[in-house]
Amino acid sequence: MNDSVATAPTRLDGYAELRDYAAIGDGRCVALIARDGAVDWLSWPDLDSSTLFAAVLDQARGGSFLLRPDVPHTVARRYLPGTNVLETTFTTAGGTVRVTDALTLPDTASLAPGRELVRRIEGLSGSVPMSWSVQPRFGYGARIPIVARRAGVPVAVCGAEAVAVCAWDAGHPQCTADSVTARFRAESGTRALIALPYAYQEPLVLPTRAECEARLDHTTATWRQWSDDRTCTGPWRDAVLRSALALKLLVFAPSGAVAAAATCSLPEELGGERNWDYRFSWIRDSAFTLDAFLKLGCAPEATSYLWWLMHASQLTHPHLNVLYRLNGGTRAPEQALPLSGYRGSTPVRVGNAAAGQVQLDTYGELLQTAWLYTTAGHRLDADIARRLAETADFVCTIWQQPDAGIWEVRSSPEHFTQSKMMCWIALDRAVDLARRQLIPDRHSARWQRERQAIAEFVETRCFSERLNSYMRSAGSDDLDASLLLGLLHGYRPQDDGRLRGTVSAVQETLREGPYVSRYLGSDGVPGREGAFLACSFWLAEALAGCGRIDEAVSLMDQLVALGNGVGLYSEEIDPTTGAFLGNMPQGLSHLALISAACAIGEATR
Amino acid sequence: MSIWAALAGGFVGTLVLTTGLRAANTFNVTRIDLPFLLGTAFTSDRTRAKALGYGAHFVNGLIFALLYYAVFAAIDYSSWWLGTAFGLVHGLFAATALVNILLPLVHPRMGSPQTSAPDVALLEPPGFLMLNYGRGTPIVTLAAHLAYGTIVGGFIAWPS
Repeated sequence: MNDSVATAPTRLDGYAELRDYAAIGDGRCVALIARDGAVDWLSWPDLDSSTLFAAVLDQARGGSFLLRPDVPHTVARRYLPGTNVLETTFTTAGGTVRVTDALTLPDTASLAPGRELVRRIEGLSGSVPMSWSVQPRFGYGARIPIVARRAGVPVAVCGAEAVAVCAWDAGHPQCTADSVTARFRAESGTRALIALPYAYQEPLVLPTRAECEARLDHTTATWRQWSDDRTCTGPWRDAVLRSALALKLLVFAPSGAVAAAATCSLPEELGGERNWDYRFSWIRDSAFTLDAFLKLGCAPEATSYLWWLMHASQLTHPHLNVLYRLNGGTRAPEQALPLSGYRGSTPVRVGNAAAGQVQLDTYGELLQTAWLYTTAGHRLDADIARRLAETADFVCTIWQQPDAGIWEVRSSPEHFTQSKMMCWIALDRAVDLARRQLIPDRHSARWQRERQAIAEFVETRCFSERLNSYMRSAGSDDLDASLLLGLLHGYRPQDDGRLRGTVSAVQETLREGPYVSRYLGSDGVPGREGAFLACSFWLAEALAGCGRIDEAVSLMDQLVALGNGVGLYSEEIDPTTGAFLGNMPQGLSHLALISAACAIGEATR
Repeated sequence: MSIWAALAGGFVGTLVLTTGLRAANTFNVTRIDLPFLLGTAFTSDRTRAKALGYGAHFVNGLIFALLYYAVFAAIDYSSWWLGTAFGLVHGLFAATALVNILLPLVHPRMGSPQTSAPDVALLEPPGFLMLNYGRGTPIVTLAAHLAYGTIVGGFIAWPS
């Protein structure tokens, strides 16, 4: 699919394909916009807040903001170059109209609303009849607001939240009990504007049209400036830059945390129950996240993220939670919402029970993250250094436990090989940090002893001579794509025969075309899932690490082509249909793309 | 009732308040660290921030003690229990308006609801009652401020 080619938008049972969604954001929240111009997801005021629009999870009750021509049309879409501002062009028999969408960034020139969605509609040629409808539904569709006019402007109010519907040259808004609608004609050379300013626990700010226009232009310029400052090179530069912009959408600016994805409960299996809330920050992703920030020249984001990571984990120290809330909180109780789910995929869950699991690889991720940070020339303060050393001590006492593994299986805990490898990484990095006098070194000898013990465990109990590969867990016959991380994070040198054998085994067993499955065994949850995109990128990077450059480049080319028309990725893809599955945009997919593109680019130079 | 007594009470009270918060911090009850929050307003060097923050925190402790003294002088009455009441108001003010609302507005490195994509905060915002720093934070903060108020009130009232 290429969104620069105009095609007619389609829906099935009222739902757009997940592949058809583009994301816009402002560093605090994210909206998803379908190819037909509908804003079907928007959580306000923050990325992990309840939603104003959640039609992607329930067409009838979720709420949405529709904006489209009233006559048959085709659609072409793109992001304005170097920005997270979306441009949609509708072409009809009678003319062409362009819609520019943004969650605006506050400027200093005017009193900006707390949050604001702006949609600019420009008539490019002819005359196009347009209609729009705003159906706000607060609290994941549970709370229908009261819509009334304030100073002539339709305003929807619900408790501490309020949203206004400001329209200029976009028809005469009609207020019904729970929505605002209007029709107008977009004539050639004319421009209309619809803005949704939002307030939470404060009075609404009703902006002028000029202020909204200025903020939209300011937003475009600011994103472009951010992109111009990035250091992206190589054959997949455009894909890397788009991934960087997607990742930036997931950076929660008020704290520096990075969300795993912008949405909740988009299904890993259509009609299935693998529907999870990913609007939290996973320690699992931390090393890739910091590595990407450093490679892209995002020093402020890298420092903020490490500060947040150490700050958030302080309360649970030396234990690490699997995930933390974006504000640093630790509670993420899982509950099901009374929504019908994307194309009947229930339950719709918010919160995530994985928060209470034991996941040993997180300790390796944390130490690896700190190690990467120092390798880039940054210093650790005494408090962080002490806590990292204590974390290494803690790893010495817990690495022999079974855990839920990187994939957070809901079956019984096992001795997952990747978890043990990451415990080895934790102690190896601690030893190196201590050697460089960056953390206290009084327990360095113990860390070295336990590192050796972990290596013996992995080499004797987690390796299959028959398959010449590490296996998913001690004594298991299954493979797992996460074993590739042993190579990527440096558990063994890149020319190590056992890791090369594992790469080959994963490729032969779990790969199908460009698609790679996480594993084939059970995980304690009914149903199946699609191919996991991050694993495909990890395989491409691992192939390059093994010196199989041509294979890596070929796979990477195929994977870059799998992005949707505007270059975004969800968590998984159905290998049969190519449909996106899981939450989106998915941070781990984009992180893996950045990492693979940079690694393969370096290997080919 | 003397200014010197107020300053002495402010110093001892701040010492107890800071020690209490630090102890709660060490026992993983809360992530609140007032000296760190104050110090990072001046520098992003964490070690230097803590040193500066402790200085600023003690100065603030003395200033608040003088404010207590001013109110006591205005009503011409002082006692340890009235100091406790002041500590309650002081603690609630700190946890709601001062640290949650005012500090993010002037703190160059702290996030606020207005922080957006071009900038990234180095410090997460405390949130209402500073709950972002752990569920034990409001209780610990309030208890520490009650102790501070009691000590300042006691010093100012002593020996009358």
